[in-house]
Amino acid sequence: MTRGIGLYVHIPFCASRCPYCDFATAPATSALRGRYLAALAEEMLREGRALGRPRVRTLYVGGGTPSLLEPPEVASLAEALRRAFDLRPREVTVEANPATLDRARLAAWRDVGVTRLSLGVQSFSAHGLRALGRTHQPEDSAAAVAAARDAGFDVNLDLIFGWPGQTEDDWRADLRSAIALAPDHASCYPLELRLDPEEAVANWPGGGWRVLERWRRDALDGQPDERVVAGMYRQAERQLGMAGYRHYEIANWARPGKRSLHNLGYWRDREWLGVGAGAHSHLAGVRSANPTSLTEYLGKIHTGGARVIDTGADAPGEAAMLALRLDSGLDLPRYTARFGTAAAARVRRAIDEVAPARLLRITGDRVRLTAKGRLLANEVFIRLLA
Amino acid sequence: MSPLQQRIRNFCVIAHVDHGKTTLSDRLLETTGTVPLRQMRDQMLDSMELEREHGITIKARAVRMGWRDHELNLIDTPGHVDFTYEVSRSLAACEGAVLLVDASQGIEAQTLANAYLAVEQGLEVIPAINKIDLPNIDLDVVREELRTTLGFRRSLIFDSHYDAYKGVVAHVRVFDGALKTGDRIRLMATERESELLELGVFLPDARPIERLETGETGYVATGLKAVADCRVGDTLTLAERPAAAPLPGYRPAKPMVFAGFYPSNAQDYPLLKDAMEKLRLNDASLVYEPETSQALGFGFRAGFLGLLHLEIVQERLEREYDVDLIATSPSVEYRVITQTGAEVAIDNPAMLPDPGTILEIREPWMKVTIIVPTTHVGPIMELAQTKRASLADMSYVDPTRAMLKYDMPLSEVILDFYDQLKSSSRGYASLDYEFAEYRPAELVRLDILVAGTIVDALSIITHRDRAPQTGRVLVNKLRGLIPRQMFDVRIQAAIGGKVVASETVKAKRKDVLAKCYGGDITRKRKLLEKQKEGKKRMKMVGSVEIPQEAFLAVLRIGDET
Repeated sequence: MTRGIGLYVHIPFCASRCPYCDFATAPATSALRGRYLAALAEEMLREGRALGRPRVRTLYVGGGTPSLLEPPEVASLAEALRRAFDLRPREVTVEANPATLDRARLAAWRDVGVTRLSLGVQSFSAHGLRALGRTHQPEDSAAAVAAARDAGFDVNLDLIFGWPGQTEDDWRADLRSAIALAPDHASCYPLELRLDPEEAVANWPGGGWRVLERWRRDALDGQPDERVVAGMYRQAERQLGMAGYRHYEIANWARPGKRSLHNLGYWRDREWLGVGAGAHSHLAGVRSANPTSLTEYLGKIHTGGARVIDTGADAPGEAAMLALRLDSGLDLPRYTARFGTAAAARVRRAIDEVAPARLLRITGDRVRLTAKGRLLANEVFIRLLA
Repeated sequence: MSPLQQRIRNFCVIAHVDHGKTTLSDRLLETTGTVPLRQMRDQMLDSMELEREHGITIKARAVRMGWRDHELNLIDTPGHVDFTYEVSRSLAACEGAVLLVDASQGIEAQTLANAYLAVEQGLEVIPAINKIDLPNIDLDVVREELRTTLGFRRSLIFDSHYDAYKGVVAHVRVFDGALKTGDRIRLMATERESELLELGVFLPDARPIERLETGETGYVATGLKAVADCRVGDTLTLAERPAAAPLPGYRPAKPMVFAGFYPSNAQDYPLLKDAMEKLRLNDASLVYEPETSQALGFGFRAGFLGLLHLEIVQERLEREYDVDLIATSPSVEYRVITQTGAEVAIDNPAMLPDPGTILEIREPWMKVTIIVPTTHVGPIMELAQTKRASLADMSYVDPTRAMLKYDMPLSEVILDFYDQLKSSSRGYASLDYEFAEYRPAELVRLDILVAGTIVDALSIITHRDRAPQTGRVLVNKLRGLIPRQMFDVRIQAAIGGKVVASETVKAKRKDVLAKCYGGDITRKRKLLEKQKEGKKRMKMVGSVEIPQEAFLAVLRIGDET
């Protein structure tokens, strides 16, 4: 554990539910928050002890909406973190909703050691936010960026494209607005709508799958054509590239030196511990996850937790797929050394199979996705899996 | 049945020439007092001069006799092999038969054949030995011969299954004789022999017993390993003393519809082969042989009684044997007359010879009978017109239902005709058809090219006038069924190398899981695995993935052409 681990802390609470979201989320009632934070503290202490109080190299507080927490709650979370881990992080990110930020909260997070704020902007247009079922207003984003800058944080902006009714002009305008705010980092995700109730998590009373499904079906009908969405992705590459951002992962752009260290840990197949409902871990080559249901998570926390091991894990396939997501690509000799010749042969076969479509480029020992390959990455990925 | 009817006995006498049948008949007439003794003359029933001359009976005739409150109708039958038809006609009128054997001659072949005919028609057979007063006869030998020879030892196989330990287990009904463990048995259609390892009954679980007697139903472990050797409908007999003729019931299947069966994954070929062998054990009408397709690799060309049979077999293979398979478009058997005058049977469109060498192609025509409410005759007639059918007859079964008789090519019948018939009649029409004849037709092969390569499994033989339109429909249909790939895929229909229709499946533009779910690699992997599973169900033809449904598309184009 010399290198240290990544630590992901999941705060599921949201003021309202975004209908496209499949993360573990829950209504932010104060009673539920209290119970949850206590459980989180207990889990951190136990896991920290089990791992010998490891050094936390990067910390990421995601959600949900961590920015909803009140300053005393943030302080108690910080206390629990310090108790459980050797907390000397190079990067601490917290996710925030543009409408929930105020100076008191930002100060509380700064005291915890936050260095980076990830803002769920999604769109700068009122009709875009409406189409996505977001409750904040367009002007909230600029204000939130300004407040984050004042607090001394690096800033990431999350943007979503391909929402129902979005035009190419809409998207160009959103990119321009984002660049105008000069963030250090930007993530652009095409709207991915899944109709699988298993994947959607319902910790929300009354708002079951049927409501979500209806919304998603309508949204799917209203989404721009696949060709248009692909064009939007290319547009993001052009506009952000020209503004000086490096496209370092399929959906992520950063100014020099501003890549997300925590997320790089995922893609480089490093070790991390995830705590909280629905949080995933990758430790000693084993992937595991907490239940996404809050009831289940809270109910089992006192009896040692309900972490489930991913028995279907395919380490070589996953490592290759994750590496190819990055612009640095896959280093073949190192991959062969780590996973052996059989795994390497599978990669070779995948390379050959997609060669006519020019999804991959080989330079020296490295394989990388081409621009076309980034848009059709699944065609490569499925061939890397066993 | 009235009391009077219960006392009627219609019977005949089965005997070889000169074994004394006519004499027995004469004595019956005499004993029952039907003909007064003073009017009796020899060969009373053989009235034809020719019959008396030859001492044989040619025409069947009947005489009524009264005996102890019973009415006995003796139906005299010809005994000679040339008059089998006459025999079967008279047998059909009887409930019983006297089997008459000359004690000095024993049982003759023709007697046996007629006796079998009688048994097949369900007649009660009463053996009788004649001329027992002749010198130098051994009555016991003849009696034993009758007992064993006419004991038949025949069991009908009505079902069967494969048991990993016992081999092929036949479900039988014993018709004549008995079966016991250790008997050496023979299957009459396949001429296979083996030792009977175990027999028993179902209670309802299999319970071994020692013997199965006439009339009993049970199972027989044949010890056979090849399921093809034991077919439903076959007759099981004893190898030492085999029955002379099998029980009715087994007919070698006469397939009408043919299709290629291929495993979705080439490595599953042994699985499919095994599954088809096992299925044939239960389905004697399924016939197949190995076949190779350029597009689909190794598979089988199978023959079916009809389209429903095809669908059932496909479904059973997939459900009971868990084989993912691709069925090619069904075809009938065409007769191709070549320039050299040779006749070639073609049941696979891909095998059609070079058009330049073909003088004529003939296709099977069927006599089709449709019964339909009179209110729906119009739509049915319109439908029939689109199927090259010609109306042969129309009549009324009753005031509300009409019976339409059509002559129609089988290829049209198997192309979705039944479904269309049902929908044109709100489900009320019923359909029956039988083979009529082969007729010449203007037929051509329509090829489908995917990314420039002919997919032989998609070729169909179709009427020349209709080929271009069918090509357009098919290509359009395939465009909707073939998913977007990493590159544009052109789909074309061609007749003799000339493209008659073309469409393009545009390359997919975006297929990527972009969102980073807090390190949730498991979810990403599962989604990708699902996608990969979907791909596996598709067939790689060259570098193009073609889903199974595409191969069925040809089946469902009937209503659009």
